[in-house]
Amino acid sequence: MSLPAVDVLSQFLAQQPEPVQRVVDTVTTGEAIAFWVLGPLALAGALGMLFARNAVHSALWLVVTMLSLGVLYMIQQAPFLGFVQIIVYTGAIMMLFLFVLMMVGRDSSDSVVEVIRGQRLAAALLGIGFAVLMVGSVGRALTSVQSKGLAEANTTNGGNVGNIGTKLFTDYLFAFELTSALLITAALGAMILAFVGRDGKPARKTQKELVEERFQEGKRVGSIPGPGVFATANSVATPALLPDGSVSEESLFEVIEATDSSTLSDDLAEVAGTGHQPDSHALKGSES
Amino acid sequence: MTKNFAAEIGDTAKLLADDPIWLVLIKVVGIFAFLVVMTLFMINWERKVVARMQHRPGPNRVGPNGWLQSLADGLKLAFKEDIRPVLADKWVFFLAPVISCIPAFLAFSVIPLAGEVNMFGQQTALQLVDLPVGVLVVLACSSIGVYGIVLSGWASGSPYPLLGALRSAAQVISYEIAMGLSIVAVIMFTGSMSTGDIVGAQASTVLGFAPGWFGLLLFPSFAIYVVSMVGETNRAPFDLPEAESELVGGFHTEYSSLKFALFFLAEYVNMVTVSALATTLFLGGYHAPWSGDFLNTGWWGLLWFIIKTLAFLFLFIWLRGTLPRLRYDQFMKLGWKVLVPTSLVWIMAVAVIRTGAIQQLSTAQRLIALGVVVGLVLLVSFLLPDKKVQDTKGVPLAGSGFPVPPLDLAVPKSAPKRKVKVANIPKDTAAVTTGKEAE
Amino acid sequence: MLDPYLPLVLMFALAGAFALFSVTAAPYIGPRRYNKAKLDAYECGIEPSPQPVVGGGRMPVAYYLTAMLFILFDIEMVFLYPFAVAADKLGLFGLVEIVLFVATLGFAYVYVWRRGGLDWN
Repeated sequence: MSLPAVDVLSQFLAQQPEPVQRVVDTVTTGEAIAFWVLGPLALAGALGMLFARNAVHSALWLVVTMLSLGVLYMIQQAPFLGFVQIIVYTGAIMMLFLFVLMMVGRDSSDSVVEVIRGQRLAAALLGIGFAVLMVGSVGRALTSVQSKGLAEANTTNGGNVGNIGTKLFTDYLFAFELTSALLITAALGAMILAFVGRDGKPARKTQKELVEERFQEGKRVGSIPGPGVFATANSVATPALLPDGSVSEESLFEVIEATDSSTLSDDLAEVAGTGHQPDSHALKGSES
Repeated sequence: MTKNFAAEIGDTAKLLADDPIWLVLIKVVGIFAFLVVMTLFMINWERKVVARMQHRPGPNRVGPNGWLQSLADGLKLAFKEDIRPVLADKWVFFLAPVISCIPAFLAFSVIPLAGEVNMFGQQTALQLVDLPVGVLVVLACSSIGVYGIVLSGWASGSPYPLLGALRSAAQVISYEIAMGLSIVAVIMFTGSMSTGDIVGAQASTVLGFAPGWFGLLLFPSFAIYVVSMVGETNRAPFDLPEAESELVGGFHTEYSSLKFALFFLAEYVNMVTVSALATTLFLGGYHAPWSGDFLNTGWWGLLWFIIKTLAFLFLFIWLRGTLPRLRYDQFMKLGWKVLVPTSLVWIMAVAVIRTGAIQQLSTAQRLIALGVVVGLVLLVSFLLPDKKVQDTKGVPLAGSGFPVPPLDLAVPKSAPKRKVKVANIPKDTAAVTTGKEAE
Repeated sequence: MLDPYLPLVLMFALAGAFALFSVTAAPYIGPRRYNKAKLDAYECGIEPSPQPVVGGGRMPVAYYLTAMLFILFDIEMVFLYPFAVAADKLGLFGLVEIVLFVATLGFAYVYVWRRGGLDWN
């Protein structure tokens, strides 16, 4: 008696991988498995992005989609494209998204106010238009385009990357040089949108300027005194003691000084040693 | 010397393609174990070397000479309480260590540990995969690894980790540029991005005796890579994300137990990976410093590889023991204003020299090409702002560079007595550490 | 063609299984004695601010600029790789192209530098 799964496994373990150079233009088993794993994953990522409540979670779902796409490119014999997809889209562009989302703030909720008139109609029309385009191009790709395979391009004339380089710098020269114009525009836009400093000069003082200023004013240049050797606590609320036992006013914390002492009665009791003292039960919380 | 490289291109890939699945499994487990052991060793080694540099004994209790200290620490971490702060984002907090751990291991797969060896009767190369885009795998993994850092900081719901994560992410992405650019010149000389080919291209010797390593041939690239690899792994003197004096522990402040251990593991595995990549790209990988010896064949390669990698790892420790931490603005300045432009200018210079050599240009043509590049560099550098004129309103400085009190300072006879309010200390100032616990 | 990637997949699986196991097992292996102070965000002993993350969960806009510049140079880097591989074949023509490309981006870089976009405080 042998289990089918064991058979499959033993066959899998016994098989010898194909040599790299073999021209494979049909879908291999491995490719099919990869597709059926990555396809749903990419789709799940897209759906997750739509339905996630938290903006950062949405971005993470999108990362899943982009990673799946990258791996799909790889198994379709385009390793350079696949890794560039991961480096540029996942590594750089999604990181920018994450930075922006974190800039907006973690707890800020989605705004439901529509500021653009006719937003829904425009979105619907564009969506339908995009769907038609997609169906059209995918349909054409499935029916009238003959698949060629990259096996030849990947093994001759310098391989995958070499061939991309040759093509890019001869046939697609114009598009390539246009990219640099696009990138310049991006730099310009980023500076205009995100730069907070005034021209040539940063808005805030540099650390060096701050240091010099502090010395010029002649105020205390070092750090303010800490609790000291005889302190009962290392909290910022505990004042430092001068050698004669008096309190160093420099160490007093403005916020705590300004707080009404009645709100701190528990803490006072604790520091004075008159309140509830910690015992062996102190480490036990409600969940244990 | 370029012509003979072409013959070697893809050799490793062909060799690896014949690996049966059990051999691949052995290699996977072997590399995983190697990285874990290296991490345990590295932590211990680091502590011992830094201790020696500071005239301390270092860890010397657990195991022979204290070499099992990090293993014991690792085991201890597993039995520590796993804490998730109430404000943390549950799933992201859970996944962040995993996200930072997986790419760290994955990146090492493309590193060639040795050349052609005989493993259990099977001829193979001591390398897991040799992709035509090998170098990109490391870069892709490091760009995914940043997510682990950013997400852990964000998900902790606490200010220090978030600040640490932001710093760390900005730092890693800044230095990734310099790192990626420093590799370009190597690729130009090899004509391939596969790590196997890059090592193969460094097998020959130049001038009859010196090893044909790219570290010697393309020294500026090597220097930029070494600086950026330290920045990329967030290590001293670039360990700003975990600047203890400012940010507690950086992005992993809120992590404990095995989750913390995973971040620690990822950091050290990343260190091993960038060191191994430095060996591969610039120090001839598994080749001995001389050629044509039996020491240059088979399993001996592993020895050379490990020696070279350990040299880089020692450099990491040495830097940590020697240099103070940079300030953040200095650090970003170094990355964006020094490493990136130097890299770009160097790449262009290499491209010009190399094209000149390949095209057999006449001297006049070469001079014109060089002139164009120099002209462009000058044009760009003229546009850069001048160094700021020192303003004279600053603090008067003595020769030592420290501010000194004025010479005519009159010392008061007795220090003015300070009025001290002692009466209301216990009322108004109190420790607020435990807060509302009693409420 | 999946074969060259199979070892990568296995490595991914092993590292992933190890990491997931560690993360999942951690709460069960270790002790569980929670209290409120432990579960609070760590702020060096003072009471955590109710709005936890910096500036209400916001971060300085300078990081956005860094990320944008990173995209810029990342793409430049990605274009330099195929050039580097094919450099010998492309010859003088390719050299002129890449010098033009880098110079064009160089102007963007200089612009950002002069405006102070690379300065940190």
